[in-house]
Amino acid sequence: MSERENGVEGGTGGGNGSAGSPARRPRVSRRAFVAGAGAASVAAWARRATAQGKPTITYWNGLTGADGKVMDELIDQFTRDSGIRIEQQRLPWADLYAKLQVAVPAGEGPDLALIHTVEVPHFASDGVLEAIDDATTTAKGFRADDYLPATWQGGTYQGKRYSLPLDVPQHILYLNTKVMKEAGLVGADGRPRVPGSRDELVTMAKRIASKPETFGFAIGTVGPGRYTWGFHNLLWQNGANIYAADLKKAAVAEPAALEVAEFWAALEGQHKIAPPANANCRDAFIAGKLGMWIAGSWNFTGLREAKVEFTAAPLPRLFKQPVVWAMPHQYTFPKAKAADRTKRDAAWAHVRWMTDHVAEWTLKAGQVSASRKAHSDARITGDPVLRALLSQAPQWQVGQPTPKWVAAENLTRPVIEAVYTGQKPAKAAMEDLARQINALPD
Amino acid sequence: MTRQTRVAYAFLAPGLLLFAAYRLYPLLEGLRLSFTNARLGRPLQQWVGLANYTRLLEDTRFHVSLWNTALYTVASTLPILAVPLALALALNRGRLKNLLRSVFFFPFTLSVVTVGLAWLWLLDPVVGPFNYYLRALGAPARSWLADPHTAMAAIILTTVWWVTGYYLVIYLAGLQDIPRELYEAAALDGASGPRAFVAVTLPLLRPVLLFVVVTHVIGSFQLFGQVFVLTNGGPGDATRTVVQHLYETAFQNFFQFGAASAMAWVLFAVILIFSLVQFRLLRGHTEY
Amino acid sequence: MAAARPLDRQRWALTVALLALALLWLAPIAWVVVTSLKPSENIVRLPPEWIPWPATGAHYQEVLWGSSRTARIGRAFVNSLVVATGSVLVVLATSSMAAYPLARMRFPGRDLIFGILVGSLMIPNAVLLVPQYVLTQRIGWLSTYQGMIVPEAAMLFAFGVFLLRQFFLAMPRELEDAALIDGAGPWQVFSRIILPLSQPVLAALAIFAFRSAWNDFLWPLIAVNKPEMFPLPVALALLRSAYSSESYGPIMAGAALSALPLLVVFIVANRRIVEGVRLSGLKG
Repeated sequence: MSERENGVEGGTGGGNGSAGSPARRPRVSRRAFVAGAGAASVAAWARRATAQGKPTITYWNGLTGADGKVMDELIDQFTRDSGIRIEQQRLPWADLYAKLQVAVPAGEGPDLALIHTVEVPHFASDGVLEAIDDATTTAKGFRADDYLPATWQGGTYQGKRYSLPLDVPQHILYLNTKVMKEAGLVGADGRPRVPGSRDELVTMAKRIASKPETFGFAIGTVGPGRYTWGFHNLLWQNGANIYAADLKKAAVAEPAALEVAEFWAALEGQHKIAPPANANCRDAFIAGKLGMWIAGSWNFTGLREAKVEFTAAPLPRLFKQPVVWAMPHQYTFPKAKAADRTKRDAAWAHVRWMTDHVAEWTLKAGQVSASRKAHSDARITGDPVLRALLSQAPQWQVGQPTPKWVAAENLTRPVIEAVYTGQKPAKAAMEDLARQINALPD
Repeated sequence: MTRQTRVAYAFLAPGLLLFAAYRLYPLLEGLRLSFTNARLGRPLQQWVGLANYTRLLEDTRFHVSLWNTALYTVASTLPILAVPLALALALNRGRLKNLLRSVFFFPFTLSVVTVGLAWLWLLDPVVGPFNYYLRALGAPARSWLADPHTAMAAIILTTVWWVTGYYLVIYLAGLQDIPRELYEAAALDGASGPRAFVAVTLPLLRPVLLFVVVTHVIGSFQLFGQVFVLTNGGPGDATRTVVQHLYETAFQNFFQFGAASAMAWVLFAVILIFSLVQFRLLRGHTEY
Repeated sequence: MAAARPLDRQRWALTVALLALALLWLAPIAWVVVTSLKPSENIVRLPPEWIPWPATGAHYQEVLWGSSRTARIGRAFVNSLVVATGSVLVVLATSSMAAYPLARMRFPGRDLIFGILVGSLMIPNAVLLVPQYVLTQRIGWLSTYQGMIVPEAAMLFAFGVFLLRQFFLAMPRELEDAALIDGAGPWQVFSRIILPLSQPVLAALAIFAFRSAWNDFLWPLIAVNKPEMFPLPVALALLRSAYSSESYGPIMAGAALSALPLLVVFIVANRRIVEGVRLSGLKG
């Protein structure tokens, strides 16, 4: 495994036009070292840890992407440093939330869970999460000033804190250099052109798609037809949202939202620039079948591993504002059947350690940290993709803080897929969705 | 109570206990739940009469699910009946029967998830081999699972691949039981080949065909695994099935046990009706 | 019966055509195995490469022993093994014990009980899902082995009784009568005479039950909340969305592994399986 990582990391790396940054070489040996040392010494430390009576805590998260491997390494490092063992369980986010909902009341929840900000309201209101009092928060060294406001705020619900932010997964525009070059869409410096508007995007995408079996543009990692996060991003760019400002009535049938839905419908059917609704865009991008791709920041380290030549650019302004969808990860402590002080302290220790080492997380997993302190790290500002991600900070927007957000999202998924595939006209579909969302029980 | 009775019940006890606890009791309890507003996490249930059932009348997604499931059952019956039968007839006439039977049976030993994952990868619209070879042959390649017109057909194809081996073995056994004399007698009467098939094989296979159809219908109405892996009910709700709707109502979004139980009993009723209809249609006279 | 030459050639032509079809039939499985052996960067390549060269065992290693907790396939494999074996044992024990009096003894309620059991074969599992879940939660069996074994065994019980009773009915009574005259009690007759003679049908039932328990998906999906207790199908299924961002490699490796035990059983006990399918289908 370490051999594979060596070969992969030491390869072309990002191919994003900049000269290979010297930061990359130490990263290679560092990663191999961490992997090797971690694997070798976890066993020894585990023995020592149990001998010292250090607890083992359970930790659930949904990091099923390339960032998952990085989390594994960091956890191994944490175990070496602290002696606390972590039993990680990873499920895809949607399944993770369903299981959490059922497991915690049954007393089978984990000691620590990583969830998305949008989940905090409904889990908090369902009594799944334990409230964190401010005294403890300050005592453990977490202060509001250290954090980006959206992430710090997102951890609260109805005045109480339920979570602590880790990082800010967000969208970014990936451009496949080879595909764009073949379509003649590169600038004089050999770098792919970045579209400045919706019309320009469509024109460029059509040019790319003129080559058979190649697609010009896609939003979403897999299943672009039902990629609600992408749909939300576009809604927000047009000033629309799922709920109206009062967070009670659905706003998906408003004109601004309809405009977005019409664009969604036109992607595959009319403009013919996007892949089928269930395509695997990541694989298409890697295989050189997709030119421009809006997807999560958590993908780019995987793209580097797959040795794809690509550039990353801030999201273009496709509608009114260049809003960037962001979904901060939050650490929470699910309610336990019996309060276990040692385990809770161990969980806190991990959160503290991860926050202190969050620059590592950013560098290797590509997720910008919620903590501001890491932003000035030279290695981070030296990486072009991370720089692009950081530059998007003023445009970030997150989901609305209502407990019904996730339920509404579950309803949205098949509806936007029906719009994408042309099964339903955009207007009728959105009106139907508005009805369904308004009918959600409280 | 005679001694034999006591002995008999002693033998029966463990199994009957198991059966009563985990088959009979849930059956009746499910019926009872369907008349309440039970929800996960809500300790008190209230009797709501037929409210759950009447709500189903307005639940358009339930209607879509039921329609899709019924459509799938009907559309898949012919391939499920015919393909293994054709294979059985062919295998009987060719050589290497046992080897071929084993090969065709093998997919049946796989879990529905493994089958789904294999076909998901195979049918990937951009990088999957299925479309690649179709294009190479000049045939139109589409996103089979994302096109609302072909998604169900793709799922049927997957299921046929999965279960053909099982029904093949059943047909082979059924064919084996048909005495040769009947074919010879038919040949003497001038009937051979396709006429013999219609005159001799089909009537004698009737009980087997009935078994295949009934088994298939009961299974099809509970379609879940393939859809869960391949399309998750999509595109839109084009392949959404009743069990998926039930599963999501009870265990994903809203944890409404009462409503889900009502759905389950409606499904039960539909299956019973379908099965009874088939028995009537296909029973005919089984003596020969 | 003399086979004429042209007919022979016809037979061989048909066989060859069937062999070609059989090869095509195995293609999806072959694709799974081939993918599982390719290094990640070679997996997404067109035209599709059917020979995994260079081949790597990295995905299997990762999925079984690696530090990646994504799949925990190794643990899921063990879980499936425990559940399947447990289910088989419970079903064999309860079904055979119940089928014996139903076939061999007279007592009030015999026909009623048998009628209920046969009738219960028509009950679709989906109908019992929610109440079984509520029951399992109430007795604290969620995410446990018994919580997976007992419902599975209960589901297979009626079928097992049906199958075994058929077989017992067809057995000649002489040996039993002789043993009874010698003073043997019913349990001894059952365990020393009936069971040993029932090996073929018991083996067929065991294999049928193993397959059903090994591949059960919907029940463990809802009844198991602790990821370390997931059986294989659930562990694989929950990665349906995961493998898109990671790699098909580990998941295909997991899928290939999940097919392994039944492949072994299949190769070893081919005839028994066919016999079991025959028995279940034709007397039904």
